[in-house]
Amino acid sequence: MLKLLTIGWKDLIVTFRDRAALIMMLAAPFVLTLGMGAVTGAFSDGSNNGIDPVPLVLVNEDEGELGGFLLDVMQSEELADLLVVQTAVSTETARQQVDDDAVAAAVLVPTGFSASIFPDRATGQTGATMPIEVYANPGRPIGASVVEAVVTEFVNRVERNQLTMQVTMTQLATNGLVEMDEMEETAVAIGNDLFGNSQDAAANIVIDTHTASGSSDGGFNVLSFFAPSMAIFFLMYTVTIGARSILQEQEQGTLSRLLVSPTSLAQVLGGKVVGTFLTGVAQVTILIVATTLLFQLRWGNGLGVALLIVAVALAATSWGLLVASLSNTPGQVGSAGTAVMLLFGILGGTFFPTAQMGGLLEAAGKITPHAWAMDGFLSLATGGTLADVVTPVLALLLMTALVFGAALLMLRRRWAVA
Amino acid sequence: MVMMMQKIWAMMWKDARVRFSSRSELLFFLVLPLLFTVILGGAQFGGDGDNRIPVLVVNEDSGEMADELLALLTASKTVRPELVAAAEAETRFGDNEHAALLRIPAGFGERVAAGEPAEPAVLDLTQAPNNTNAIAAQQAIQAAVGSLGQAAAAAQSSVMVAEEKRPFTTPTERAAYFAEGLALAQTAVAEAPQRIAVTQPEAATGGFDGAAHQAVGQLLTWVLIPLLGTSGYLAFERAQGTLRRLLVTPTHTATYLLGTVASQLGLGLVQMTILVLFGVYVLRVNWGHSVAGLALMLFLFGLAAVAFGVMLGAFTKTESQANSLSIMMGMALALLGGAWIPLEVFPQGMQTAVHILPTTWAMRGLSDIVLRGQGVADVLLEGSVLLGFALLFFTIGVWRFRYE
Repeated sequence: MLKLLTIGWKDLIVTFRDRAALIMMLAAPFVLTLGMGAVTGAFSDGSNNGIDPVPLVLVNEDEGELGGFLLDVMQSEELADLLVVQTAVSTETARQQVDDDAVAAAVLVPTGFSASIFPDRATGQTGATMPIEVYANPGRPIGASVVEAVVTEFVNRVERNQLTMQVTMTQLATNGLVEMDEMEETAVAIGNDLFGNSQDAAANIVIDTHTASGSSDGGFNVLSFFAPSMAIFFLMYTVTIGARSILQEQEQGTLSRLLVSPTSLAQVLGGKVVGTFLTGVAQVTILIVATTLLFQLRWGNGLGVALLIVAVALAATSWGLLVASLSNTPGQVGSAGTAVMLLFGILGGTFFPTAQMGGLLEAAGKITPHAWAMDGFLSLATGGTLADVVTPVLALLLMTALVFGAALLMLRRRWAVA
Repeated sequence: MVMMMQKIWAMMWKDARVRFSSRSELLFFLVLPLLFTVILGGAQFGGDGDNRIPVLVVNEDSGEMADELLALLTASKTVRPELVAAAEAETRFGDNEHAALLRIPAGFGERVAAGEPAEPAVLDLTQAPNNTNAIAAQQAIQAAVGSLGQAAAAAQSSVMVAEEKRPFTTPTERAAYFAEGLALAQTAVAEAPQRIAVTQPEAATGGFDGAAHQAVGQLLTWVLIPLLGTSGYLAFERAQGTLRRLLVTPTHTATYLLGTVASQLGLGLVQMTILVLFGVYVLRVNWGHSVAGLALMLFLFGLAAVAFGVMLGAFTKTESQANSLSIMMGMALALLGGAWIPLEVFPQGMQTAVHILPTTWAMRGLSDIVLRGQGVADVLLEGSVLLGFALLFFTIGVWRFRYE
């Protein structure tokens, strides 16, 4: 046992003295966590958890009232956090702003928009249909769709009012509830009531809107996702180094030298595995402590976190050993290990939650230590208890047993042949 | 001149042979980039590159009206409804991945159809706190509800006006009046003209395409990392002493550097061409209309990336250090340049700050070509900036380069 620990400890020291390894083990996950935090707004002032206000430009060429109403709606206090509205005098200028990627969309209210909805008092006729144009920026799909939704809601409201006018007046007339000479007066009164009121008097569907309890700063921090995910992603690099060292010892002849001493092959191999495991545990622990101190991350139940670290390091180590057992040279271990690191990263939900992938890919993610460990870390970070990490820990241990067993079989066959 | 070209060609051939001496290089050169493009193109932000705002929906009503509302939400360009059972709604909403939770109560459709002003159908919308996505989702839901209830709302309003003129004698009379108004309104709605036209720049390739964005982003990532890895080649030659030996021959240092840069850039261009062609012919990704614009942007991106590699090579001591730094910096530059997540999602300050990176300009130029359908003339600014980066990195790299 002492020999196992001695070999393991030696490997750990060697790895932590290697600057190139440290870049990948500690600097890279840290830098990418910082990067992910920065692009997802984790370091913002916390006043907004969603998209930034959407910039748009509006051109109002409508000589009636509705173009002005639309501008008022867009500049209302209700939408102040959602939209940044600027106006332009020409449609060419507005379109150019979209083409230059300066705004998410241009809203172009044409001449005659109001006249196409409100009947002329003299003739009673409406003008030709003049649609509002939303000139969308294809490079800003979210912002453009938000602008479209706001314009759609405005137009819906206008159409609903116009429809109400039409139906009401028709029914009043056909049911004899209004005299012919009262028609215009009644229509004006209804129109004033409908279009002069910002609320939907006739709405028969009400949306009862309320905000979920809890504040943004007391809730989930997106770094609680990226910090463990990046740590686990680069843990696979660490186990690759450990696995590579097994074949390096063989290639460089140091393994033969070791076997001359009263040390068995099993002890050497065991020591290598212990070293890889200890290095992995140390790497993840350092990253967790560093992100806790620097970003004030709350990882949740300490014992649960410790169990997860041990379990994920075991599972990752066993995968590293399997890669080594299937490779012939240290170079092959490096290439295959890096490929496994990247594939597991994408399948295991390192860059975005696996639930978004759905179906087969989500299921495939379950063969990676990442998916189970992330499940556990996220449960703890969102207030879960020790009981919530039992399944992920057991899954990781089962994975360790299966993959480790397979790797040992392969290695035994190899040493037997050798 | 001819001699120098021959030397550069010889070095390019040698570098290519060294790089592909191991078959595993093909894994990183082609297999993994294509695999990542396929997986991420279809998976990120939901299936088919769906990046709409996710909203949880609990439907406790089994009527047609609720189904119609769900269909309207599904067709929305802003929100992506995810139907969940009431029991799991709170838990799912608590995971902070959803901006809002909409509940359609039992009896919703009946209430809408009844047209009772005193008892409107009520939808329950819970929004995530301090979240503009939640406001955007509310607007989209409001728009869907507006379309859904238009006819019933008009009929209901007509009933109210009629009631003011002459109260109904019986509930049946009232219901008949509502039904008549509803029929009128439904006919009018069916005949209503289109009052919104959503357009895009004429040359645009059909709106935002998540798969195309991922194809561009993955190409940048997988080409950038090996090009930064030029630093590893330089460190390797230095460590092995082959660089010193090479310079003993009548080979100018500039020829050596040019040969190394040309070989790496050449391989990068081959890789980019294969990835683009695979994207076009196999994955059916639209890479835009301008072949010249695309070629210009890819060449200048490659040039800036390989120049960055030369600069990195001047500051690294060993090959393994250079390789580790290349992977780390390649991933970080790709992420911050908007290659993985669209820049639009970044906070406003970050959107501006990341313009100090070459990858941001490369993504901007390639997005102009791929998504906006623009051409050479439209990407001259982005191209010029990339050329500027290349000159700057080469200058620093050559200035600080250590030959021993």
